[in-house]
Amino acid sequence: MLLFVVAVGSWIYTSVQGEFLKRSRDGQRRTVETIAAGYPAGPEDVDGWLQRLADEGGADCEVALVDGIPMPGDEVRARGNAELAALCRASGADPEFAKGFDNAAYEEIYRSVKDWAVAGSERALLFAPALNPRTHDIDGVLVFSFGTEAERGFIQMLRTLFGVAFALFAIVIWQMMLSRDPIVGFALAGLFLMALTFVAYPLFEAVRLSFLQNGHFSLEIWRTILTSEGYLDALMGSLKLGCWTATVSTFVGFLFAFAVTRTNIAFKKLISTMGVLPVISPPFSLTLSIILLFGNNGLVTRWLGLTGAGFTIYGLPGLVLVQTMGMFPIAFLTLTGVLQAIDSTYEEASLNLSASRLKTFTAITLPLAVPGLLSAWLLVFTTSLADFANPLLLAGDLRVLSLESYIEVTGMNRLGHGAALSILLLLPTLTAFLVQRFWVARKSYVTVTGKPSGRVMELTTPGVRKALAAAIFCVIFFLVMLYGTIFAGCFVKNWGIDYTFSLENITEAITRSRDALFDTVTLAAVATPIAGIIAMIAALLIVRRRFHGKRLLEMLLMTPFALPGTLVGISYILAFNHAPIILVGTAAIIIINYVVRELPVGIEGGIASLRQIDPSIEEAATDLGADSATVFRTVVLPLVRPAFLSSLSYTFVRSMTAVSAVIFLISARWYHLTVLIYNFSENLRFGLASVLSTVLIIIVFGAFGLMRLLVRENENLMKNVT
Amino acid sequence: MPDTVNGTTPAAKSKSVTFDGITKIFKDPQSGQDVKAVDSVSFRIEPGELVTLLGPSGCGKTTVLRMLSGFEQPTAGRIFIGETDVTQTPPNKRDTAMVFQSYGLFPHMNVFDNVAYGLKLRKMPSADIAQKVGRFLDMVGLGAMAKRPPSRLSGGQQQRVALARSLIVEPSVLLLDEPLSNLDALLREQMRVEIRRLQKSLGITAMYVTHDRVEAMSLSDRIIVMRGGHIIQMGTPSEIYRDPVNTFVAGFVGKVAFFPCTVRDISGSGCHVEVKGRSFEAPRWARELKAGDSALVMARPESLSIGEPGTGVEDGVVTANVYLGNSVESWVHTDLGDPQSGLPSDVLVQIDNPDVKKVWNEGERVSLSFDPILTKVLPEETEPVPRT
Repeated sequence: MLLFVVAVGSWIYTSVQGEFLKRSRDGQRRTVETIAAGYPAGPEDVDGWLQRLADEGGADCEVALVDGIPMPGDEVRARGNAELAALCRASGADPEFAKGFDNAAYEEIYRSVKDWAVAGSERALLFAPALNPRTHDIDGVLVFSFGTEAERGFIQMLRTLFGVAFALFAIVIWQMMLSRDPIVGFALAGLFLMALTFVAYPLFEAVRLSFLQNGHFSLEIWRTILTSEGYLDALMGSLKLGCWTATVSTFVGFLFAFAVTRTNIAFKKLISTMGVLPVISPPFSLTLSIILLFGNNGLVTRWLGLTGAGFTIYGLPGLVLVQTMGMFPIAFLTLTGVLQAIDSTYEEASLNLSASRLKTFTAITLPLAVPGLLSAWLLVFTTSLADFANPLLLAGDLRVLSLESYIEVTGMNRLGHGAALSILLLLPTLTAFLVQRFWVARKSYVTVTGKPSGRVMELTTPGVRKALAAAIFCVIFFLVMLYGTIFAGCFVKNWGIDYTFSLENITEAITRSRDALFDTVTLAAVATPIAGIIAMIAALLIVRRRFHGKRLLEMLLMTPFALPGTLVGISYILAFNHAPIILVGTAAIIIINYVVRELPVGIEGGIASLRQIDPSIEEAATDLGADSATVFRTVVLPLVRPAFLSSLSYTFVRSMTAVSAVIFLISARWYHLTVLIYNFSENLRFGLASVLSTVLIIIVFGAFGLMRLLVRENENLMKNVT
Repeated sequence: MPDTVNGTTPAAKSKSVTFDGITKIFKDPQSGQDVKAVDSVSFRIEPGELVTLLGPSGCGKTTVLRMLSGFEQPTAGRIFIGETDVTQTPPNKRDTAMVFQSYGLFPHMNVFDNVAYGLKLRKMPSADIAQKVGRFLDMVGLGAMAKRPPSRLSGGQQQRVALARSLIVEPSVLLLDEPLSNLDALLREQMRVEIRRLQKSLGITAMYVTHDRVEAMSLSDRIIVMRGGHIIQMGTPSEIYRDPVNTFVAGFVGKVAFFPCTVRDISGSGCHVEVKGRSFEAPRWARELKAGDSALVMARPESLSIGEPGTGVEDGVVTANVYLGNSVESWVHTDLGDPQSGLPSDVLVQIDNPDVKKVWNEGERVSLSFDPILTKVLPEETEPVPRT
């Protein structure tokens, strides 16, 4: 069966290719005949005729004339197209040329069997007699050269096409014939294809390009990067920024988490909400309001009279401030989980043994929380390194890797350098991941006792509690002020100069961003269901099926989670701007990028949720006659609905607020709102930027609110299900 | 509840099941070694028959069931439902319906939708579905619960829903995977009767997996006893109980005492053995035995009796009396035990009508006798006897 298909396939292939070549060569032959028929009668006209041919350039070929019919050993005299004539003179003794001349002598047209390099490109040569229309003598030999790129390009395309068709066909046949469950087989084949094409291949291309110089293997790029001061500065800058942000964020996050889990502080709900809120604030929004407040013309700067006094928010301190505001929620969430999981019986025991509260905190709570603190620190650290949006607006003189790779690509058009820099960015991330995985995880003291005890252990004296509350509400006040500033920015004529109330910004922003807004929402809305469904299918297959290469598939699908957005963006433009897959400039590349980047979180959620579900529920459906697709639709999807919904809202929100990868992938046709915000901010149109940020904030919060509502409804329905 | 299964003609659709040399090899995920879960198993279930797979955990009985349902693929051999070879057929294309140990009810659907699921897949008109689901829910006594989610049913009710959901698609073979193990003792007894009644009234071929011998005895037309991936014996409950092929089966399906003996002579009607110098004639014996062999006389509690010391074949001490109303179970400690072959030294004697018969006190020395007509002579074995 397979042999038959191969035979038929190759027959079709050879005949299509043969037919194409025949047509193309017939066309060339006709061109040659037509041109040769125009050969002038008077020898004095010949040069003019050749010149006209060269000037017109209508036919896609060059022409040279060899005088007479040279015999072997004769010197070849040729004129016409300079490069071709030079080739004729140099290679006149070649057997191919001899054959061409021979055939011309018999008034035949001859096509050389091999290609020749003319002016740096491969050309096919055709030989025709220069027949004098008056004397009917053969004055010489006309040599024509035709480009072969088109032919070769076509053949390559044909081969790719047939290769892909054959691979698909093989998969179909293999599934139909050998597998008892073709639907699962197709789903697996599709996932593998997707993972290889859109995760492995772009990364490979990025790595490959960083080792290329002029098309050859070279360590040049890496040598430049690792020795030149500028790039090392950027590396140091990234690390410095990461360390500062991680340390401050962990501290703030711990204050919040400790207050919520170990004290009887008032307004706990508010603290928890404010401790999570910034995680979903769109990029640029916090930076924007920091600039509005503390920028060179900022409200606070002016108010304190700091303008021109050497104060600037641009640079390391400003970045640490804005990153901390945006990233301390990561530490807060991690540490809340850790502190909740540490049984407060230990602290009770310590107090019971008449240790003071301070002693209990330093001797019990803090040491137990150390692994949690470390993993929170590492998480913030890697997020800070990969951060792109904040440095883009606020870096000032500070050089950081993510920004540097963006400048290399968009500013200098040095893709290889950009790729290498973003790969460099991956190394600290990878190190952090490994430390987390193999050291922190092993040292964890989190006690697994089933249910966390609901009691709250009061670990603070009233004085300490007041100080804690003061610190926390300072942070909350600052956050509220930041959001308020963006909102206020919408209604001010010209921030920093003219604070009169105005709605102009809103109308202008809406008209100027209408297309981008539409694009952004469309792209996110298309990517969301695709990512959600694929994530659930992948989770189902990973949890429930045994198949070869499961670990590989899981790894490939989870990889994008760890990749900095700049690396993803750069590797996508590297991989998809040439054959066999050209996607740059299309909506598809952006959508695929969203899907691939947000899949890991959805898959994780789906896996966790499926592990809770008794496999016999699905088996029961199968047993009653449902095929895999029906089981998925009628049983699995409803059961993992909470995970599915949160994966949907997560993908939507992340796609609406994407910057780091998408900034490389947008085109004139498909634009993104966040990039527009960036452009407005760069041009100091802060009012417009504020309006767009507010719009984004509203959309994002709306999406989360909707998800919350749907999931809660769901929880009520499923409350008693075991 | 009367048989209200008017629409279906019993036994018309039921089919036989044939396993032909089925072997299943699993790869141990830890060591990567091959494990033979089922080893060249062959048997045939007649149409309308209820056959139980009985055996200790890990004997391969669930694997056999899952191969019949299609969730596992046999490594070798062929499976037939009726005359059709279904070895390569995926589970959703097989005409089987399984009742799971954990029920596997769809938590996001109410009772009605759960039962209707299979019919919807078969594209039955919704009016017919409503009528048929109603009929089957009435049949399992849950007509009033149609709108409830499964989470608001008791364990027994959930079990009935699962049963109705499987029966309603009128499968050729009904599969039950330890369906009663999550229920309490009283409910279990009720459901045993219920399952038997429904299966017989619908005439469905059924395969039932359990490790509970009482369940197996009370439900089955025939029992297949399995151990280590092999079928040890296949027969009716009374054959298995009265005429086990070896000490393993004898021990697994009920309490038992073994008395060492010597085979004197085998005639057409019986096996003459000598126990402690006394001769008996047992009506059943293992075919491989011949005169002069050392063997064991197998006796069940109801065939044993207690008398004055020295009157029986084995003396011992009464260690406990368990009063059950219609009988007393007396435990007698003897020297019959053999730790190596696992032969028990504590022997259970069942004394019927204890209120009119003599019951010996705990601590008294007594002697055990058996009624040879209920015994079987078995060869000595190296494999240990399971404790029940």
